[in-house]
Amino acid sequence: MHAVPLGRSSAISIAALSLIGVFSFLWPFVAPADSFLVINSSEAPLLFAIIIPLLLTTVFSQISDGVLNAKAIALLGALAAVIAVLRPLGAGLGGIEPIWVILILAGRALGPGFGFLLGSISLLASAMFTGGVGPWLPFQMLAAAWVGLGAGLLPKANGKWEIFLLSLYAAIACVAFGFVMNLWFWPFSLNLPEQIAFTPGAATGENLLAWIRFNITTSLGFDLPRAALTVILIALIGSPILQLLRRASRKASFGAPTVFAGVERIS
Amino acid sequence: MIRFDNVTFRYSTEAEPVLRNLNQEIPAGELALLLGATGSGKTTFLRAINGLVPHFTGGHLAGVVSVNGRSTQEHQPRELADLVGFVPQDPVSGFVTDLVEDELAYSMECLGVSPSVMRRRVEEILDLLGLTQLRTRPLRTLSGGQQQRVAIGSVLTAQPLVLVLDEPTSALDPGAAEEVLASLHRLVHDLGITVVLAEHRLERVMQYCDSILLLEGGEISSGLPSELMQTSPIAPPVIHLGRLAGWDPLPISIRDARRAAPPLRALLADHSPAVHAVSAQTQQIASLRKLHFAYGNQSVLRGVDLDLDAGEITALMGRNGAGKSTLLRVLVGLKEPLKGSVRINGVDPRALPASDVLRHVGFVPQEPHDLFGALSVGAECKASDVDARCALGTTRALLALMAPEVCDPTHPRDLSEGQQMLLALCLIVAAKPPLLLLDEPTRGLDYPTKKKLGEVLRGLAQSGHSILLATHDVELVAELATRVVIMGDGEIVASGPTPAVITESPMFAPQVSKILAPERWITVEQIAHALEEEPA
Repeated sequence: MHAVPLGRSSAISIAALSLIGVFSFLWPFVAPADSFLVINSSEAPLLFAIIIPLLLTTVFSQISDGVLNAKAIALLGALAAVIAVLRPLGAGLGGIEPIWVILILAGRALGPGFGFLLGSISLLASAMFTGGVGPWLPFQMLAAAWVGLGAGLLPKANGKWEIFLLSLYAAIACVAFGFVMNLWFWPFSLNLPEQIAFTPGAATGENLLAWIRFNITTSLGFDLPRAALTVILIALIGSPILQLLRRASRKASFGAPTVFAGVERIS
Repeated sequence: MIRFDNVTFRYSTEAEPVLRNLNQEIPAGELALLLGATGSGKTTFLRAINGLVPHFTGGHLAGVVSVNGRSTQEHQPRELADLVGFVPQDPVSGFVTDLVEDELAYSMECLGVSPSVMRRRVEEILDLLGLTQLRTRPLRTLSGGQQQRVAIGSVLTAQPLVLVLDEPTSALDPGAAEEVLASLHRLVHDLGITVVLAEHRLERVMQYCDSILLLEGGEISSGLPSELMQTSPIAPPVIHLGRLAGWDPLPISIRDARRAAPPLRALLADHSPAVHAVSAQTQQIASLRKLHFAYGNQSVLRGVDLDLDAGEITALMGRNGAGKSTLLRVLVGLKEPLKGSVRINGVDPRALPASDVLRHVGFVPQEPHDLFGALSVGAECKASDVDARCALGTTRALLALMAPEVCDPTHPRDLSEGQQMLLALCLIVAAKPPLLLLDEPTRGLDYPTKKKLGEVLRGLAQSGHSILLATHDVELVAELATRVVIMGDGEIVASGPTPAVITESPMFAPQVSKILAPERWITVEQIAHALEEEPA
């Protein structure tokens, strides 16, 4: 049962946003040397930092139109609060971030639409706590929304297989989140050694290699512990938390159809 | 005011409808009481009035529910918010703000009422419900009755024509229940509000209501209390007594019953009430000597002396804050007394390692689900076997005896209130503690479940447990307890056999004793027994 069902128009708008989002992360690899973005590469992130929130707002209102009811908002608020409180625990502790467990399990139990909203809202809420508001925030919101969305789109599995699937997804998602999040500032990072620096207008493959080297030498030390912790937590407490979330979903009767029949008598 | 036209409703997960072909009209200004066993669809019926069923819950609704001409089919619950005020079972779960005044203003803020009007209405409601003294208090510091009145006030500020309440007094002590019911009575009389309420504690509300709606098997029958109560399977003691004595018209209030009682009194003059057989063996289980306890400077227990014997069911009564719960907590070793001694089979519970306490004394708290930690009933029972160090399956077998309808995969919190209480009792009894303590075990239970619990407890007492219940439920005490201890202000003010103690006090007297005082009859059963002996 999905807490926030995604209609066709919502799916299309999420897809469109994601397309622009993908571009906002990946433009360094594809933009020609004489393009506007490359010439102004130090302002480019700011441009996207303004565009993404505007688009996110549009998508939120699209998703919430008619289907985001009080029950889903209550659950969204409660879980976003849990994540916002857990987030400061990870600050500066070498990637010890318990929040991903909640996001992935909630996306799995409550559906892709809910996961998408929870990912972006919880990062926004936690940024208020930790003082982490900056041009990186829209990128974080979008990347976390993808993590939640992806968890909700995973194929069906039960019991141990489900936990295995979620652990695998968590490991990939946690590392990918770190890699992708490096992209927003990498193009305008100055004074990097040549092997790991962005070269405007260089061939895609060259920049891609430089970016991978950059990831490995800088953020992998955070990304791997984050992935390891998330996998361990999912293996340990994934099953009971999934059961709790599914029970909440059942109690709220998400997705239960409401039918009014006419006044004719039912016998 | 409220119309149900051929209403049939079924939840989308279930095959059978909860409500079947209901045709019912509740006229304006009436106080209607909704009766039915647990699971008979009372809450569904109440929620259908403002459209929460089916808009919130999902499901299939045929027919039309309308309030003041507005049908729930065409209007969302929020569009009925100015018309129907709904107070759910647990008022605390519905609170949005922290302070009394804020909570009262909240629903008006949502409806966009202007500040000057809000100001005035908050004042009116504070006066109407007697909340003036509490206006700036945080909600969580209020007593249960006060919280319930704030919850009622917060929906009244929207000036609804209809007030719907789901068991407003089930969880309250008699005094607090009286406050809430008096407030409701006033609303019906002064403001002409239509009130629909579901309630288990009929002995409290029966005399206030104008009509009764009885839900059975998804169908409804309605009528005047005195008519419908002739045959209702759910009835308070005063009705059972009236039926037994053949009074016509059936008296609904104690006062009416007392006026009808003289012939019965004459008939019973030559009889004396059968008393609980007191077992000859008086093996002492627990003893308290000169017990003192205080929270900070506030003294709660002042020199309590108490002995508890095997096979006894002792009821601990007294107003809220008299120290009942504290006494139980001291007995189980959760709180350390200031002075005095606690001995259970000669041992001080505080000297025992935590894992051994359960084998000496077991405590079922007011919220039984505080004891639950597992995700299913089956897992809960297994964990309990380990804690109690008894053979695997012991707890499950106990549960099968007490509540055969409970299934293993169910989440413990999805059980009904009564089933939760029985499960909690099983978790405790599995370790066979000689002393069993229960805090308000019948809160929120309906009559059949109460009866069941009573039988279970009586069985445990007969098998040698000593049971101490802290309770406000006078009818339960009359039927079950062998001894009553009344506390006041941290001291024991009365102690003795049940009939002697409760018939002497107007506060703790059951309905039967109020009708037949000064004779010491306390239950309808006793009278039925006596009348059987009477030659026809």
